[in-house]
Amino acid sequence: MYTTKRKTILVLFFLSIQTLLLSGCWDRTEVNDLAIITAAGFDVTDDHKLELSVNIFITNPSGGEQMGGMSGGDGGGAGQFIVRSAAGLTMADAVSKLQQMLPRKVFWGHNEVFIFGERLAKQGVDEPIEYLTRHPDARERANVFVSKGLAKDVLQLQPSIERNTAEVLREMAKSQTGLNITVKELAQMLAGKANAAVIPWVEIEQAQGTQKATPFINGTAIVKNGKMVGRMNDYTTRGIMWLRNEVKSATVTVSPKGTKGYVSLYLIKSHTELVPHIDGDNWSVTVKIETQDDIVENTTDLNLMEPEHTQELETELGTDIENRVKKALTKAQEEMNADIFNFADAFYRKYPKEWNQAKDRWDEIFPEVEVKLETNPKVTRVGLTGKSLIKPEQR
Amino acid sequence: MGNWKKSLKHLLRSDRRKLVNAELPGKNQQTETLLSGYVNENLQIIQSIYADCSDVIFHDFLIGNKTKAVLIYIDGLTNVEEVDQHVLAPLQQNFTLEHTLPNIRKKIAVSSIKHVRTVADVIEEISSGNPVLLMNQENQGLSIGLSRWEKRGIEEPVAESVLRGPREGFIETLRTNTSLLRRKLKSPNLKIKSMNIGTYTRTPIAIAYIEGIADPALIEEMTSRLQRIEIDGVLADAYIEELIEDDPYSPFPQLLSTERPDVASAYLLEGHVVVLVDGAPSVLIAPVTFISFMQSPADYYERYFVGTAIRWLRFLFFAISLLAPSLYVAVLTFHQEMIPTSLLLTVAKSREQVPFPALVEALLMETMFEALREAGARLPKQIGSAVSIVGALVIGQASITSGIASAPMVMVVAITGIASFMVPRFTVGISVRLLRFPMMFLAGFLGFLGLILGIIMILIHLLNLRSFGVPYTSPLAPMKGRDMKDVLIRAPYWALNTRPGLSGESNKYRQAPGQQPGPTKRDEEG
Repeated sequence: MYTTKRKTILVLFFLSIQTLLLSGCWDRTEVNDLAIITAAGFDVTDDHKLELSVNIFITNPSGGEQMGGMSGGDGGGAGQFIVRSAAGLTMADAVSKLQQMLPRKVFWGHNEVFIFGERLAKQGVDEPIEYLTRHPDARERANVFVSKGLAKDVLQLQPSIERNTAEVLREMAKSQTGLNITVKELAQMLAGKANAAVIPWVEIEQAQGTQKATPFINGTAIVKNGKMVGRMNDYTTRGIMWLRNEVKSATVTVSPKGTKGYVSLYLIKSHTELVPHIDGDNWSVTVKIETQDDIVENTTDLNLMEPEHTQELETELGTDIENRVKKALTKAQEEMNADIFNFADAFYRKYPKEWNQAKDRWDEIFPEVEVKLETNPKVTRVGLTGKSLIKPEQR
Repeated sequence: MGNWKKSLKHLLRSDRRKLVNAELPGKNQQTETLLSGYVNENLQIIQSIYADCSDVIFHDFLIGNKTKAVLIYIDGLTNVEEVDQHVLAPLQQNFTLEHTLPNIRKKIAVSSIKHVRTVADVIEEISSGNPVLLMNQENQGLSIGLSRWEKRGIEEPVAESVLRGPREGFIETLRTNTSLLRRKLKSPNLKIKSMNIGTYTRTPIAIAYIEGIADPALIEEMTSRLQRIEIDGVLADAYIEELIEDDPYSPFPQLLSTERPDVASAYLLEGHVVVLVDGAPSVLIAPVTFISFMQSPADYYERYFVGTAIRWLRFLFFAISLLAPSLYVAVLTFHQEMIPTSLLLTVAKSREQVPFPALVEALLMETMFEALREAGARLPKQIGSAVSIVGALVIGQASITSGIASAPMVMVVAITGIASFMVPRFTVGISVRLLRFPMMFLAGFLGFLGLILGIIMILIHLLNLRSFGVPYTSPLAPMKGRDMKDVLIRAPYWALNTRPGLSGESNKYRQAPGQQPGPTKRDEEG
């Protein structure tokens, strides 16, 4: 009796082991079979197709040179990366075309940077964004950029300091000197009430001597209704960031009235609040900017230990911020009519009824919105010395 | 599940049934016989029992040149010099008293003398090394407590060494071991009950507990479980452990085996029961919890915060030893997006030349490590170090350069190996090392899903497990706030006011409260 039972158990046991091997739908992928993409760029071809370029990490050191040669990139050499491109009618089409060109499975899990070419940005970024937000593989926390010229050209750069373009751009965005926009934030902006978005603008700094060409963030691309409508330079970008409450680090240099030389202030913290107000047909926003700054350099002969001088500096600082903000406002309201500061949400939150009635006319209202600026800068510390040790006359 | 378990039980027990029904050897009619008043008659029976036993000595002599007597003992188990001096000498020379047993008893200068009445008793006493004296005209014999055999000295426990704290360890002799306990716990409340287990070995076994602290139900349960055992021989404490544990199919030990009298005494003071087995240099402690296996004697001999920190480290490395290779396999085959980009790029580069999937690679290296460990453990110390050098350095390095394994995998295996030795109890360490393999398969087939499934299965099993009625995961689940002071932290002694509640609630307080030390306050002085 026991022997038959024993046999049954053994048979059942081995049968159940088979199921482990028979599982057909198995998403196991070895690292060796992955084409690890670290950056992707989108361009438009001349026949209006979407061209997808990807930066692929070469895991095989010996195979690198051959593949690098095939990519035809001007970066060339024995780089660790290659750039491959494929064109398609849609994003998904382009991705599958790209897959056909690669021996390994396209792996989006470590893609940290998406770059839109200028031409594509002007035609509309919504199509790639639709794919990136829908497809589970792509990371929503990846950074997005708009490049001057072709995105592919940016990908092919081989910068000196970091491993690749993606790393350079990501670190630059992370340092918060410019805008830091991820796929998720871009999608939120595009789907938001304001219907306008900002994306950092990337340019290529050409090779100089031994230094290789490297990308850098220089201003902002303004997107409205999914299409790029213009760009702002570095100076105005700071204004946008003040208004969007995104300033994390800044060094502001001001020249107090009646003195020679400059005082530089380092930002400790800042906070911006948008207070909307509707009075009949008159829509207005009060922007309250509060910042705390430390003085890090003083080339004037002012003794900063005296409170009246620091107060003077605070006024100067306020004026500087206001100038930047006003410039950004003028451009956004008058030239581009793009609500990149998300006034729309501020109005909606405070005046939902009025907003719902007026939301179709927002494009008409926005340029007319009156913006009042209230800056409240504070100089908290003047540094380790009061008066400059060396008098200006002595210099 | 239930059916499966039942069938498996039948599978394992089918042989046992036959043995139970078979006649147990060693028990025959002869041994139950009472001793008769004729020494020759008795001698004949005993000699027939001890036929072909060349080490049993039958020494005939005359008491006071008149009464025939015989001294039976096993050579090597008895102190022959003392027998000659204190037994034979006074009986053979100038024995003037009447030749009766009480008179003889008076003459023998030995403190431990017992009367024996049956042949079975005689055999029992002879086997334990006590010489037995039989004489004419007496239907009783005398067992003289002069046993002495070769035994090891008390040495430092090998498997549980500490830097600070007692260095003595149990040895193979039961009496010495009980004396080690008695020397630490001098109270008469320390009870040591004895029994013999094993048809052939007749191994002496002692149950030690402290009356008034240990739960009487626990002692009763332990006694009844021990009495259930019918086995031909008990050669070490592991025999007993496997025959009395709650869940014989569990990979986790439900009794703690220790070589240290101080550990055993500490558990006795917390109301546990200690089972001492003759022939084993370690004792068994029950009931125990999972946490018991995470506590090392060193925790209690170092400063308490050091003990606490080391205990946390141990918990961390316990998790590593169970999960590290499977985590690595799961990440590399399913969840490549889970690790930092730079790490993935490095791993990808190092794995480029490796021909096997991560799972196979992990299994290969883990098996290799286990083999190295086993080979090193079974060899003499001098050769063992050579094995570890060849194994760890040469094979590790060569497997990377030859492209069989990647460097990160070798690192993971090495860390796992070290981690498994962090568990202070070898039995748990090795169980965890074995559990690692199914975990690796789960991770290799199902990724994190499999990993979590495995963890959940282990957790469910642990929560189901009991050691002598005490939940294995207590005091964590069921949560017992009072007992937490010696689980995640090792509280200082002045804060360990209450005994753990797992072995009953009697005698709750172990010390006076409020003993936190500090300089004497001035107003208290006067």
